[in-house]
Amino acid sequence: MDWSAIFGVSLFAAGLRLAMPTALAAVGECFCERAGVLNLGLEGMMLAGAFASFVGADYAGSAAVGVAAGIGVGVLLGAVMAFLSVHLKTEQVINGIAIVIFAQGLTAFAYEKIYGQSGASPQITPLADVRIPGIASIPWLGPVLFEQNVLLYVSLALTFGVWLLLYRTRFGLSVRAVGEAPAAADAAAVSVDRVRWLALLVCGGMAGLGGAVLVVGQLSLFNVGITAGRGWVAIALVIFGRWNPLLVLGGALLFGFTDALQLRIQASSGGINAGVPYEFFQALPYLITLAVMVAATVWSRRNAQPSALGVPFTKGVSQ
Amino acid sequence: MTALELALPQESRRAAQIRTVGATLAAVALGLAAGSILIVIAGGRPWSTYADMAKGAFGSLFGFSAVLVQAVPLLVIGLGLALAFRGRVYNIGAEGQFYVGALAGGAAVILLPIHVYPLLIALGMIAGAAGGAAWGWLVGKLRARWGVNEVITSLLLNYIGIFLFSYAVRKPLRDPDASSLASKAVPEGTRLPNLPHLSTHIGIVVGLALVPLLAYVMDRTPFGFRVRMMGLNADAASVAGVDTGRMVVRLMVISGGLAGLAGIIQVLGVQGRLDTSLSQGYGFTAIVVALLGRLRAVGVLFAALLLGGLTIGGQAASIDQGLPYAIVLGIQGVFVVFVLVADRFARA
Repeated sequence: MDWSAIFGVSLFAAGLRLAMPTALAAVGECFCERAGVLNLGLEGMMLAGAFASFVGADYAGSAAVGVAAGIGVGVLLGAVMAFLSVHLKTEQVINGIAIVIFAQGLTAFAYEKIYGQSGASPQITPLADVRIPGIASIPWLGPVLFEQNVLLYVSLALTFGVWLLLYRTRFGLSVRAVGEAPAAADAAAVSVDRVRWLALLVCGGMAGLGGAVLVVGQLSLFNVGITAGRGWVAIALVIFGRWNPLLVLGGALLFGFTDALQLRIQASSGGINAGVPYEFFQALPYLITLAVMVAATVWSRRNAQPSALGVPFTKGVSQ
Repeated sequence: MTALELALPQESRRAAQIRTVGATLAAVALGLAAGSILIVIAGGRPWSTYADMAKGAFGSLFGFSAVLVQAVPLLVIGLGLALAFRGRVYNIGAEGQFYVGALAGGAAVILLPIHVYPLLIALGMIAGAAGGAAWGWLVGKLRARWGVNEVITSLLLNYIGIFLFSYAVRKPLRDPDASSLASKAVPEGTRLPNLPHLSTHIGIVVGLALVPLLAYVMDRTPFGFRVRMMGLNADAASVAGVDTGRMVVRLMVISGGLAGLAGIIQVLGVQGRLDTSLSQGYGFTAIVVALLGRLRAVGVLFAALLLGGLTIGGQAASIDQGLPYAIVLGIQGVFVVFVLVADRFARA
């Protein structure tokens, strides 16, 4: 097996690319969870965003229109989630599952209506990569960071933006307060409902953008299984990243590289993958996410323990 | 069911039940109304489409038989999910548990050298339920032991279970003579026979027998009472002496086991072999069934018939009217949102 070919520059470039859709959704999820809303509808929002961006790009012939459509549909689903979770206050776990089923159902319907039952979708023109002159010629770093499409830069900027918003602005403080102690936030004249509505719209938009990045920025085609659980992985990454957008991004990158790596090992013949069934490699991203989530949950419990120090413990009543 | 409702005398509970049923029917009506928007978008006429659907599903013995066949997995899985959801254990891994159950049960039936077929069927069903239960157990154990969110783990295990199933069908259990990728057929004697006069396999009897059983467990046993307590307030239940960790594991084992049982029933009753088209998303549709059935056994039965009818009727209508078949999925998706809205107003 040619390890240098596997661990080449293109691995890191591919890892970064593979990470971005999930990273966007995960950072969006991180934001709304900081506001105290668990949005399990993420997978549905990504899927609907992916579909809308595909249709937009296909019909308008413009990737920008596609991206806008993806974000728009994500925001719409965020509004449905907010209506259920913030306005009607029905159970958030159920709301999220319902959003996924809702989005999957409507997407399957609309896709079949527009493109027929054949299953094969047309190809859209992919977004061109931007080669930033000068710095793109830096060895290694250039091809990895500066020969990607514009959505990558937008995504990275958004992630840092969310981090700045949460930790460096008054509004971010309100968001975190609403997530930690809504009654106290309310007493301090912060509208809990308004903050949560807004957080869900942002989260929906980012998940929709994630779907759009996947389709318009990368695959240039669509099928109803295209998100393949990325939304769920994103929710797991929020736990892994301990509700900090930068750590969440880090987790997503790690995940992207592992994904790129497994694709490469799978593609290269002979060596360690001989005799290993390809289903194992297909299952690997989910196995890794599962393992990482278990590890992160165990680990964050232990780390979070100091805050519970001094609190009388009654069996099963803590937290 | 709210805390208040538990404490109220019978009469008020009846009133609450009537309100619940009314709200659910309203949700179904609203769902169908919203579905008619989809039908118009698709270029059909709502009234005649729904009439076609009803006729296709319930207008003939043939159609109704097909509805029952669709309802079997939805009913069996939905009952388990209703029980788990009542305890606020959100198992959304039924699809994977269904496949793992089908694999375990199917492997037993294909590989065991037993020719007493009723015994082999029984062993297959036990193996199927055990397979699904094991897949669920893993999720329950992770939550009980470390508090790992069961929604995400159960969902991730869907993918892993399905890849496991695909591998088994492609390699160890594969029928090399089959034209498409599929396992060897199960012995002819283990195929579930049809009911008299219907083209519905007897798996429906298993499903129907489970309805009163689950209703009894949920409403009349200490276990069911503890499940409801957990659903109302897990902390309070814990203080009252309910071992919630153990309950979570049990609920995952039961709901996973029923999903696995549904898997092997589907193999023996419909497919006759293992292949990756075994489930038409039953594990996910069963979530809609459980919610639409208001997490009650009898409700789940009606919901399973309704969604089974929607599937069969939708097939008929899409052929007759040239509508996209996925309209059924669209209507299901709309249903589930309206049920939540109705749920809110039923509680008001």
